[in-house]
Amino acid sequence: MTSNHALLELRDVRVHFPITKGLLLRRVTGEVRAVDGVDLEVERGQSVGLVGESGSGKTTLGRAVVALARPTSGTIEFDGKDVWALDRDERKRLRRRVQMVFQDPYASLDPRMTVGNSIAEPLDIHRLGARADRTRRVSELLGIVGLHQTHSDRYPHELSGGQRQRVGIARALSLGPDLVVADEPVSALDVSIQAQIVNLLQELQRELGLTSILIAHDLAVVRHVSDAIAVMYLGRIVERSLAADLYREPLHPYTIALLSAVPIPDPVAEAKRERIVLRGDIPSPASPPTGCAFHTRCWLRDKLGNPEACSSEVPTLRSMRSGHLVACHFAEEVA
Amino acid sequence: MSPTAASASHRAPGSASLLDVRDLRVRFRMVDGTIFAVNGVSLHLDRGETLGLVGESGSGKSVTSLALMRLLPPQPAAEVSGAIVFDGRDISSLPEKQMRSIRGRDIAMVFQDPMTSLNPVLRIGEQVEETIRAHREVDSAGARARAAELLRLVGIADAERQLERYPHEFSGGMRQRVMIAMALALEPKLLIADEPTTALDVTIQAQVLELLKQLTTETGTAVILITHDLGVVARMTRRVAVMYAGKVVESAPTGELFANPKHPYTVGLLHSIPRLDGEVGMLRPIEGSPPDLRTEPMGCPFAPRCAWRLEVCWEQMPDLLPLGSMAGSAPEHLVACHDPVRPPEVELARPDRPGFEPAPPPRALA
Repeated sequence: MTSNHALLELRDVRVHFPITKGLLLRRVTGEVRAVDGVDLEVERGQSVGLVGESGSGKTTLGRAVVALARPTSGTIEFDGKDVWALDRDERKRLRRRVQMVFQDPYASLDPRMTVGNSIAEPLDIHRLGARADRTRRVSELLGIVGLHQTHSDRYPHELSGGQRQRVGIARALSLGPDLVVADEPVSALDVSIQAQIVNLLQELQRELGLTSILIAHDLAVVRHVSDAIAVMYLGRIVERSLAADLYREPLHPYTIALLSAVPIPDPVAEAKRERIVLRGDIPSPASPPTGCAFHTRCWLRDKLGNPEACSSEVPTLRSMRSGHLVACHFAEEVA
Repeated sequence: MSPTAASASHRAPGSASLLDVRDLRVRFRMVDGTIFAVNGVSLHLDRGETLGLVGESGSGKSVTSLALMRLLPPQPAAEVSGAIVFDGRDISSLPEKQMRSIRGRDIAMVFQDPMTSLNPVLRIGEQVEETIRAHREVDSAGARARAAELLRLVGIADAERQLERYPHEFSGGMRQRVMIAMALALEPKLLIADEPTTALDVTIQAQVLELLKQLTTETGTAVILITHDLGVVARMTRRVAVMYAGKVVESAPTGELFANPKHPYTVGLLHSIPRLDGEVGMLRPIEGSPPDLRTEPMGCPFAPRCAWRLEVCWEQMPDLLPLGSMAGSAPEHLVACHDPVRPPEVELARPDRPGFEPAPPPRALA
């Protein structure tokens, strides 16, 4: 394995979905720009948090990374190979190395399959190992994710939400992937169980040397897991940096608003906090605003007296200081 | 548990009191057994006060709110006992006809999912007007004018035109604004908001919480805010009751609860939340799984997951009592625990006593 390139490199990735009208004469009347020009590198062993609200394109981007959604344009290179330039067999082999953990542990497991069979299914699909090897591997995986050996013969309905998510993680790990994409793995779980899964993800990253992308809707969960953070808004990355820098000194007005919106479980701090309440909803990705997509809700633009550039020019992701990228014309004015 | 628990809940004198719930119990009879959903809840609320009701799934917080609204299925499917004294009278056994005049007018409710609580085939306007006309003598023009005024109040621009639209044409945040407009249409004395922002994005949650706070302060409406999010509680409430397995295990003024938590479950919850402030590192989760509500609770329901448990915890449910004698604690701080967490142990999230081991389960349970 050569390793002078990042494990995953996205170049100007766009995923657009057509909007069609008419039953017999289907015609395309528009497109939803779910992902609209994303550049992202993920280094080996790194854990990247991908944060955004509904409609930001974070899930579609995650699906594109695991080759479940084909980009409309742009390239996705995994370990130096362009994923969509490969033939089907090669791509299938590549898929072993990139796995996904889904949000809803209730919907992502087959209710008629035992836990053991669910975990072994990826091995079956890729025809790996003899039956005895698979049984051994399942038992090993149960241990890794903190489940009991007896869980192997149970069905999903016999498990709690937290246990099901552990099964989902074991399934994703069964092929020994290099990269795991976890899409909101804890948001369907109760607080006390969330923490167990967040800790498990952290341990796995450390012990198995996994590279991971954690998709989340708020900045609090990823803070505990990720080394680097990318904040998305309407299909684009608006800010990217090491986690510590982002929380200490956010530079994009959207990130700042997002941070201030997350309630802190401390009444004293809450009473003192200055909150930025954004007006309105996220615009539709079918008709994103011109210029900077955030300009319709931006508090900084208001403060600066509605500069022309915000609504006319698309800001590019630029480096403000080392390793801290931001897509805002006026990021210097934030502080 | 018993009248002692109820009499221990602190009550402001006379008319300040709006709601007093005493020893509320709800059981659901199923074909294959009984669900013990609420197991002796006592709550108190003053006029205009905001109380946070915190708990995880299965803690009984939503069933408690449905019982207060008298929205549970009738006997024998649901067995409800206990007293619900609202505005001076016990509404727990009020005939349905009288209850209908209270529901919506005096006690209103906002649910978690605004899509399923709005009727998809009726225009927004019809639904808001229906609420107004059910309780007030107004003609249709008057109801329409009031409906438009309400939409403006919850920050929906171009209100007249929006009244003509259907719920699916609204975003989640807008729908929840409509629900709030409907709930506050008749200036109720009490608003029960059950996870009102859980289905919304964080930036929209911030908008809706701000709106709720502003409107209920203006109208003097008391609020029971049901949530699993201690951050929301910290932002919004004056007092908190923490529920576990159908019981209130701790109740205190909000500042006091966060500064000086006493119940091991509360301490565990505070340590398991991913947060934006404080140190980054491993979270300290509560081990084990939530309780099984299909068996009648024996002893403290948190005992199997508790690091502080004593032998007595396996056998006897502690009453919700004021801390009283404990140094530095507020008088309105109640806790249902045989072995409350001591201040230096809060940060550690485990008992700090030489040689202490949590009591093993009795042989019958082992």
